[in-house]
Formats: sequence, C-alpha cells, structure tokens
Amino acid sequence: MTSRETRKDKRAAVLPAREGIQKAVTGFLKKALERGCFEAVMMPVRAPETRSYAWLMVKNPELLDEAAPLPPVMSVQGGRALSSLTKHGAPPLSIGVVLRPCEARAAVELVKLKQIQLDDVHVITIDCPGALPLKDYVRGGENALDRFQALLEHWDEDGAIRPACERCHRFSLDISDEDRPLAPSSKNGAFPVEIHIGLLGENKEEILLIPLNPSGEETLEKLGLTPDRPLDGWAARVRALRKKKEEKRRAGHEEFKKEISGLDRFLAVFDACINCHNCQNVCPVCYCQQCHFDSPRQHLTAQRYLDRARRRGALRLPLDPLLFHLGRMSHMVLSCVSCGACEDACPVSIPVGKVFSLVADETQPHFQYTAGKSADEPLPLQSFLKSEFCEVETPSECREHQSPEVKSHA
Amino acid sequence: MSVRIGVYVCECGPNIPDKIDIDKVLEDIAPLNNVAAAKRFRLLCSNDGKKYLADEIRKEKLTHLVVAACSPREHEKTFMQVCVEAGLNPYLFQMVNIREQCAWMIPDKAEATRMAAKHIRAGISRVALHGPLSKKELTVNPDVLIIGGGISGIEAALSLASKTRKVAIIERSDSLGGRTGKLSRLLLHQGTDVSVLREKIEKIEKDENISVLTGCEVTDIRGFLGNFEVRIESSGEEAVSRSIVVGAVVVATGCELWDGYDPAVYGAGNIDDVVTAAEFEDMIAAGKILLKNGKPPRSVALIHCVGRKEKGYCSKVCCLYALKFAHHLRDSRAPAEVYEFYSDLCLPEKTDQEYFDGAVKKGVHFLRTENVRVEKRNGHIVVEHGDGAGKKKTLEVDMAVLAPALVPPPGSEKLARMLNIPLDETGFFKEAHAMLDPVAAPIEGVYIAGCASGPKNINESVVQAQAASGKILSTLVPGKTLEPEVKISVINEDLCTGCQTCLSVCFYGAISFQAHKGVSAVNEAICRGCGSCVGSCPSGAISSRHFTYRQLYEEIFEALR
Amino acid sequence: MPKSLKTNTDVSQGVRDFLKHLLESGKVKGVLALKKMDGSGAASYAFMTSAKELAEAEPLAPLMPANAGKILSELTLKEAFGEPVAAFLRPCELRAFTELLKRLQGSRENVLLISPTCGGVFPLKFLADGSAKEKVPAYQQAARKGKNAEGLRAACRACTDFIPCQADITVAFAGGADSDSSCRLFLETPRGEEFARGAPGTFGEEKLETRELAGLREERAAQKAALFQDIGKAIQGPSALARTFSACLGCHGCSHVCPICHCLLCVFDSKMHDSQPEGFDSELERKGGTRIPAGTLFFHIGRMTHMAVSCVQCGMCSDVCPVDIPVTEVFSLVGDSLQKVLEYVPGRDVEEPVPSGTYKEDEFAQVGEQ
Repeated sequence: MTSRETRKDKRAAVLPAREGIQKAVTGFLKKALERGCFEAVMMPVRAPETRSYAWLMVKNPELLDEAAPLPPVMSVQGGRALSSLTKHGAPPLSIGVVLRPCEARAAVELVKLKQIQLDDVHVITIDCPGALPLKDYVRGGENALDRFQALLEHWDEDGAIRPACERCHRFSLDISDEDRPLAPSSKNGAFPVEIHIGLLGENKEEILLIPLNPSGEETLEKLGLTPDRPLDGWAARVRALRKKKEEKRRAGHEEFKKEISGLDRFLAVFDACINCHNCQNVCPVCYCQQCHFDSPRQHLTAQRYLDRARRRGALRLPLDPLLFHLGRMSHMVLSCVSCGACEDACPVSIPVGKVFSLVADETQPHFQYTAGKSADEPLPLQSFLKSEFCEVETPSECREHQSPEVKSHA
Repeated sequence: MSVRIGVYVCECGPNIPDKIDIDKVLEDIAPLNNVAAAKRFRLLCSNDGKKYLADEIRKEKLTHLVVAACSPREHEKTFMQVCVEAGLNPYLFQMVNIREQCAWMIPDKAEATRMAAKHIRAGISRVALHGPLSKKELTVNPDVLIIGGGISGIEAALSLASKTRKVAIIERSDSLGGRTGKLSRLLLHQGTDVSVLREKIEKIEKDENISVLTGCEVTDIRGFLGNFEVRIESSGEEAVSRSIVVGAVVVATGCELWDGYDPAVYGAGNIDDVVTAAEFEDMIAAGKILLKNGKPPRSVALIHCVGRKEKGYCSKVCCLYALKFAHHLRDSRAPAEVYEFYSDLCLPEKTDQEYFDGAVKKGVHFLRTENVRVEKRNGHIVVEHGDGAGKKKTLEVDMAVLAPALVPPPGSEKLARMLNIPLDETGFFKEAHAMLDPVAAPIEGVYIAGCASGPKNINESVVQAQAASGKILSTLVPGKTLEPEVKISVINEDLCTGCQTCLSVCFYGAISFQAHKGVSAVNEAICRGCGSCVGSCPSGAISSRHFTYRQLYEEIFEALR
Repeated sequence: MPKSLKTNTDVSQGVRDFLKHLLESGKVKGVLALKKMDGSGAASYAFMTSAKELAEAEPLAPLMPANAGKILSELTLKEAFGEPVAAFLRPCELRAFTELLKRLQGSRENVLLISPTCGGVFPLKFLADGSAKEKVPAYQQAARKGKNAEGLRAACRACTDFIPCQADITVAFAGGADSDSSCRLFLETPRGEEFARGAPGTFGEEKLETRELAGLREERAAQKAALFQDIGKAIQGPSALARTFSACLGCHGCSHVCPICHCLLCVFDSKMHDSQPEGFDSELERKGGTRIPAGTLFFHIGRMTHMAVSCVQCGMCSDVCPVDIPVTEVFSLVGDSLQKVLEYVPGRDVEEPVPSGTYKEDEFAQVGEQ
C-alpha cells in the first residue's frame, strides 16, 4: 500500500498552477466533485463586495467561482466549522474540504473530544504561509490582498502575518523522519487527512498532491492523476523553512517569557481585558455548550461583592478576567494547536495566542503529547497510567517513572 | 417557606465539653440567619437523645437539622433515621464532627472552641442548600453466573443453587472439573480422593436448578448487583450467542501451569524425559511411569520452583504434589531414586510435615539449592545445581519433572476489563482486600473464588467457593430489594456535549453514552456518588446530588472566613 | 427646579472629591466607577471601598470597557445591596440598567445612581493601542463646547439620549462650558439630595440646560439622521442585510457584551440551534450551497427580535466585533423604528413596562382582530 510508504519513497501527483494556487486547487476540487470523489465541497468563499471569507458547503461547482482554498485570513477556524457541521453526526453526504494544517490539527483534537465526525469527510491540507491579521484585512481591503499575494510568492515575509503564524513551524507535514510514513498510523488505518497539497516545490507553476492514505490515492486515481514525482525538492524547502520558523518560535517564546515573568508583568498582559470571552468562543478546542466561566456559578451576592471589594479596597469588574484565562488554560491548553484564532478575535489586542501557545509548548511535553498529531494518541486528561500514581503517592521513590522533560527540569 | 435550621451540639459524655466551651459556641451560632434553635444535649445517640431530637424537630418545626458531635461514620445514619421518624427528609441533615476534628486534636480550649464554631457555621451554610433526596428500590435477580467449571465453580454452584435461585456455570472447555479433574489422585494424606469430584459433578448434572454451558465464553457483562446482563457465546464454528440476566457473578477461572520458562535452562520440550508436572500426572493416571524408550526410570529429579524468581511468587501447591510424586515413585514395586531440588519447602497444612517426614523415611533425597539447570550431556539428563557453598555440582538422572509456577489463564485481562475489576501485578484477579475481604471483587456483586485470585490448594479453593456463596446467599436474597446510592451524579443534558471525558474517569462503569441523543447518562443504580465525573467535566454539566457546587462553595467559604 | 451642588475644580476632580466624600463619610460603603489601570490610559470598572483606590478613579474616562448597567445588574442579580453604594454610569448604561430592572435582573435598592451628560467614549481599539490617554484633553475640550470629539464611537456620535434619565445625581460634563474649572452636580431625586447633604461645595439652583448642550443635541441629531440613513440603505432588502453581516464569525461577542442580553445560556448558544446532520441535505438541494457554521444571519435577526425593543445604542456590540460589522448601527436603527411604533423609549421610566410583555386591547385591532 503506497500510503504506508516512507517519506523517501513517497511520490506526489503534479497539478499545473499557471493561473495561481487558488484557481488550481479550486479547479482540482471542482473536478473531484464532478468525478464523484465526494458529493459536496466545503471551502472558504469570498462573497461579492464583502471584506471577508466564509465557509461554504456546495454541491453546485459553479458556486466555487469566488472560492479561495487558502484565503488570506482565517475567519472561522476550519476545525470549528467542521465541528459545527458534524457534531451531531456525519451529514448524509461525503464532503471534501481544504484545511490549513492548524485547522486539521484542531480537527484531530476534536475527534478525540468527540465533537466532530470525519468519517465521510475527505480532509485535504495545504502548505500554509500564514494568514493576515483579521482586523488588518477587514480594515485594509485590497492592500491586504496584495500583501497576501506577496506572501504566497516569498513565504517568509516578516511582519505581514499574524503573530501566531510568524511563530508557526507546523505549516506543513511532519517530514522529520525519512524512513517513516508521512502520516501517523491510525487504529482503523485511516489518518484523517487524505491528501496534502505541497506548495513549496521547486516549480512555482506546479503544486504537488501528496496522497496520505488509501482514500487519497483513490481520489487521485479518479482524477487520472498519477503520483510519480519524488518529494525530495519539496521536502528540502519545507525543512529549510521549518528550521527558520522553529528558531523564530523558540526565540519568540524566550523573549515573551521574559516580558511576562513575574506576577506584575503577567497581570499587565491582561490589563485591558474586558472579559468578553471572544477568545473562548472562537477557539476550536473550547467545546463546552456553556463555559463554566459563563455559568450562573460565577454570580455572587451583592454582599459578597462588597466583602470581596473590601478585602483589597477595590474589585475589578467584570469579575476575575485572570481566573477566566487561567481556568480556560487549564481546561484546554493540552489540546491547544496554536492556531491563533483567539488573537484575531480579541477586541483589545491582548496577545492571548502568544500566552497560550507558550504554555502549550511547555506543558504538552510533560505528557509526551503533541496536540493534533494523531487521532490515536489519547488525550492526557482522559488517560491514566498506573505509573503516574506513584508520582503522586510516593514521589520520592518515583524518579524512574518521571518523563524525561520533568526529570530534566528537576 | 422559611428555613428553620436546628443546631444541636452533643457533649459526647465528657469528650467535648472538656475541650470546647459549648455555651460559647451556641452563643456564636444562635443569632445566625435561619437558625431556629441552638441547643446542647449530653448524649444525642442515646435513646433519650434520639427521642429529644425527634421531639425538637417536631416542636421547633425544623426544616433542616445540624448535629455537631462525633464522626459521621459513627452516627450519621443514626440521626438520619431520627429525621425519618420525625417526618424530616434525612438528607436535610448535616453532621459536623467537632469531636475528632476539634476536641480531640486541638489542645488549646479557646482555639478548639473557635474552630468548633467555624465548623458548625460551615455546616449550617451547607445544610441550608440541601435538597430532599429520596431513596429508590430495586428488586434483585437472585440468580448467579459462575465463570469457570473447576472445583471452585462446582463447589459454588452446589452451595448456591435452589428452587429460588438458578445457577449457570459457564466453562470454556468441553467438560467440568478444571485442573482438579485432571489429577490422578488428590493428596491422600489430606484425606481426599478424586472420586469426590466425580460425585460433585454428577450432583450438578442432576440438579435442575444448575445449567452447565460448556464450550462457551462470556463476551459482555453490564450491570450491577442484582441486575447483570451477560452475553454468552459458544466458542467453536457455530458461534451461538445468548443473553442471560443474573444478580451476581462468581469468577472461578482458575489457573494454569506456566510454560514461559527458558528451555535452555529447564530443557522441557527439547529434551526427552524432561516432563512437566501435568504430563507426569497423566502418566500416573495412565498407570505407568515410563521413559521415552519404554523403560521405567531408575532415578527421577523433581525440580521445584520453576519460575518462582521470574514470577515473583510461590505457587503454594507444588511442594505438596512433588511429595505426592515422590511417595508414588517410592511406593512402586521397583522404586526409583528420587531427588527433590527445592529453594524453599512450603508445608502449610496440619498434616503436611508428617507427609514430608514420610517421604524422607522412604529415602527421598531433598537438596536445597538455587539455580538449577537441566541439560542433556552425553546422552544423559544432568541436573546442575549449586551446592550452597558457591560451587556447582551435577547429578545424572533418568527423568526430570518440572513444577512450574501457576499463572492466570489466557483471557483474564479481557474478562477483568469486561467486569471492570482489576488484576494485580501478577495478573491474577485482585480481591477487594487480600486479607480482610478475599472473595469479593471491588465491584459489588462480583466475587472471586479459587485460583482465579492466586495459587491455592483444593481445600482453600473450596473454602473460598463456600465463602463467596455465603456472601451471595446473604446479600442477594430472593425477593429482596436493593437501595442504590442516593447521592449520585446527574448529567444536565442541555449542557452535555458528549465528549465522554466523564466515562473515562468512572471506575464503576456507571456512565454510558446515549448515541441517539449525543449525551452521556448516569445509571442511577450503579453510580456510587464518588464525584470523579463531576470534577472531570470542564463545563460543569455534571453535578452531584448531595455535593453541589453551591453547597461545597458555601461550606468552604464559611469555613475559610 | 433641581437643586445643584457646585465646586470650583474641574469636573473630573469634582466628581472624585464627591465620591470620596460619600465614601469617607460612610454614606456609601462602595463606589462603582471607571478606574485607571495603568499609565497607558487603560481603564476598567472597579467596585472601590477604600479612599486610596478611589483616588485612582477616572469616572469620566472616555472609555466603556464593559457596559456598567450590565455590571450593576450582575452585582444585584441575586440580592439587593444591603448597604448603600454609589454607581457612576453613563446615560446609556443607566438606561440599560433600567431595562434590566424591568426584567427583574437586578435591584436599585440602596444604589445611588450618578450619571453625566455624556460626551461619548472612544472605541476599544484606543484602549488596545494605548492612545486613549493622549486623546483626553481634546476630548474634554470638545465636550465642554458641546461638540463631538474626533474618533468617538459611531454610536456616541449619533446619540441624542446623552442626558441621563432617572439618575439620582446628574453631572454636567458635556455641554458644561466651564467644566474645566467648575463641577456641577444636579440633585434630581430626594435620594440624590439626601446623599449630597453635607458634601463640600455650594448649593444652588443652577440650570443643566446650556447653549452648548443645545448645540450638542443638534449636532448629534444630525449625525443620527445621517447614520440611520446610511445604514438604512446598507440593509435595504434581505441580500443587503446578508451582505452587511457576511463577515460574521458567529463568535456571539455582540450578545455577550450587550447589557440587554441577559440570558444565562442564549438560545443561539444552546443545543436548540446546533446544526443537525439531516438539515444540510435539504439546504444543499434547495440552494446548491450553504454557509458553515449555519445560522449566521438568523442569529442576528433572532437577537434583534428578542432585544431590539430595549436597545439603548450603547455601542458595545460594534466595538467588540472582530470583523467590524456595524452591529450597533443596524440594531439601533431597527430598535429605534420598533420603539417608535410601540411608542416606547427604553430606560425612560423604570415603571414603564417592556412592550413585549404588555397587551393593549386596541393593538389586536391593528393585527386584524375585531
């Protein structure tokens, strides 16, 4: 089975892209729709005269004329969109969808949280150069579109993209190990993503379609595309860019850590927070119907408010923005995929995404867990290893059960 | 309706007034909102005390009751019963421990008094938020499923079956009897004979209240004490599936001989005339002990403790059956020389020492040694062993018999998962308490008897089977109703998103996912009210009936004020 | 003619002094008002009980990080204040609080309500980029002159309800020509008079209405007319409405910050409005395509149906929107039209019931019943 091929042996199909990436991928999806690879396509579409993009699910290929499979902004996080579609069961038709890698990773987490059904969903991911800050795009109009075009040409323009994207090193597939298959194996043999679109090939007028599982191979076959191009060129460029991005991420996090170290400085980050909870509402991983921090449990009596105010001399209202952020963090940071939707949604530009992705990078390794990597890797909050109990019950005797990260920190 | 909380401080004899100024405490709490009465009494758990409380509830028209006294473990039920008799819902009651938690541990009287008042105030805050909970009743199914048709399963079946209680024995192999059934004879010195087993099996075959399902396995079990739904499938080509409902399950799956030892060390399987105890047992049953070449052995080595180090435990029965083999070999018309290689001798029963002495008298050689190796050298079986002084010695014999460790049979893990009961580090089923509750599993309604929980001899297996039966006979009385736990968890369907995190933390298997609704639901009969699910739900869609967020918040808030 | 209390300081200091007096004399046990967060000009509402903290109060800071009417409602939702407190809130925030009181979402008991003639607030983005502080002097000057300062929220530029309704004490800010050197407090109710007794300053019979105030009213009315006309055109017909909301992410931030939206779990956040798999097939058949997440526009129209009758045009919704949808403009236009039909002004009078809960017999005739 070719999908189990190692990175070295993998081959991609080549799709010409003379009129640009958006048209090429849209064309590919239209054809796939026509050839019956799936019955509907879900893509971001720019409606006429609007300033943003919205996900549209279509059966009629003509409605895809204004589609942008890789839009300049990430308006609604793709994982969240798919979840709203499939939360209560798979729709009665098969769907093809193009997602940015962080959106696919969010979808993987949502599979484990049982808030999404990908059974009849053909997920296609694409190399991602980043997205523009939503506010900039919404206020900047055509200018912003040009900036994005430039981004697709050069791929490492500084300053144009969202802070979350600048620090993102997971913009493509994990190709770290040449001798392993590209997609992590899955219990039922299917990894949620079936095809990855490589944009970083040597030839700018071509894009690579890399099949990752039997379903992906079938799709290419139905379209008459033969995977015969080796991945070395593309892999080399991905690797080079990844190295740069990893360094940016590491340096960015180090610097930010210094900026927020110490209670006063950490609190200052949230000074402007108005407790609107936009960050929680756009987060793909935050799935609770009613957040604990929106529930009536949070209401105090007038006397209690007064008592609390008296203890410190003043009580900030609306109450406890910091408790909200830290509470939300403790609930979801182990599944945080650093997509940055939270940052885009904050009306007072708090670097929420920076804080959360920093904490995610530092906490997930303690559980030897990477959010979004595999639908088979169980969620740390739902799995219990017998050895962990000894950490709690007899910690002094337990060093051999500590994870390497914890040991190195001790 | 106004809230009228009655607060009664018990003196517990001298226990409390010696260390706490009760009047001061009463002064502190009497003026609190909603407190309708704050009084003291010498000994509330006495008959007088209980009558006094009941009278007070009626007289003061109390809507809630707080008793500040000893530990709830001692008398919570007592006072709940008082409430019931006085017409007050017993869950509108809170017990505050000011004996163990204040009087008995705070030496300074002023401090103890202050803390007692604090505890009581916290209890008052909490009780005001209690809701009246009601008990439920379930009629139990008295029937029993016994998994495993060996001696334990057989014994349990015979002890349990009656007109009002049907028993089903499910056995993987084609016949009843288990390991015991394969023995040529039992240990004569212990006064038993294999024919006893034969008689028991016949009794079972005649008993119309016992059904025997051979060639079958359990594939699913759901439920709780008094109501287990079991799916049974017959192994083999035609997999026939059926479901039965029982009230209790006895796990009597026994054990088997370990075959994972290193053949390079022990030689079985690749050296002729090195046999396992089971194979030797078969030879005895067949009537002749013969080597591969057809001749009887002139010398036999019995190797004890095969696997004791690797497995980490003693299998208890091997020394005795090795002695049995030794007696048998020495009693024959042409007795062979018998050498028993052991690291420790296990002779626990009353008559075992004598049995051993008898073997010694008959000329059996006992060699205490570690690190035995059985090899073929120059066409002969050689047993290499340490001599105790660091040197190695060898002994040439015609035949070697290995006594391997007893291990759990295959499928134990699967069964444990199905039943939601744990295995211990050795892989045997884990009892509720190895010493004090050896036949109960941690799940109510599931019992373990015989070698299923670890190597045992026949006597112990029979005792356990009878003990498990005794427990079932007294708990699962036909016609009896069970009162499941009242203080259980409840899932708000409007807020549940079906992420099933709660399922992953429920030890009792009390939560199930309702696919058609997309939400999880708590089985009120199985839920034990431990609250793990409540803590695990990030949105708070699950709450505990008697430990609501508000109740805990108010209690803690008051305690920390 | 309401009594007035005048001190010879600029209005911000005057208000602070008055609040300080209330607190220190024990007349109130706490004060709800805007408070400086740090040097950048950021401010947040705070419930202050100590003079030290009150010294950092900036009640007239041109910011609305949250609607104070919503905050006051949350403070008094479970029970009324048992001790007297003071709350400084803008006219729209006060009207929102009044609308919430009509829905039993709080209590006015023991609350001294102080409100200024309002010069408007800056959008939250100035809170974010820290530029609010430097804009303050120009803002104060414009307010004095009865003019709209540069950069105000669109809702504020067009607000004609900038004089408080049913406050206990009104502060002359906007239109107060000499508010850089005088602070005038107008005691509107017996409660206001009672709390002001003994406060430093001169009592008198000043007039709230000034030429500058009249000028501001005119300017604002013109702005409102223009705003309503523009937005009216922009939402003329269903496709235009859809277009206006097309960038919507469905974050529901607008309803979360709206003071009138008080539901514990909004029906549009509840399971009732989760998409069901069966629904998509028919949508796709009918239209060939459907938007994901579904129900974007439906949410807005639904929310409108539920709360537009009480919309006080505070502007929080537009401000919190990540994609700059003119939510306030749309909702206040629709609200205004609806309110005119029902002859209702939200927040005008706490005794005036919300129209959606009242039935007048003659209304049935309008619907066709005889």
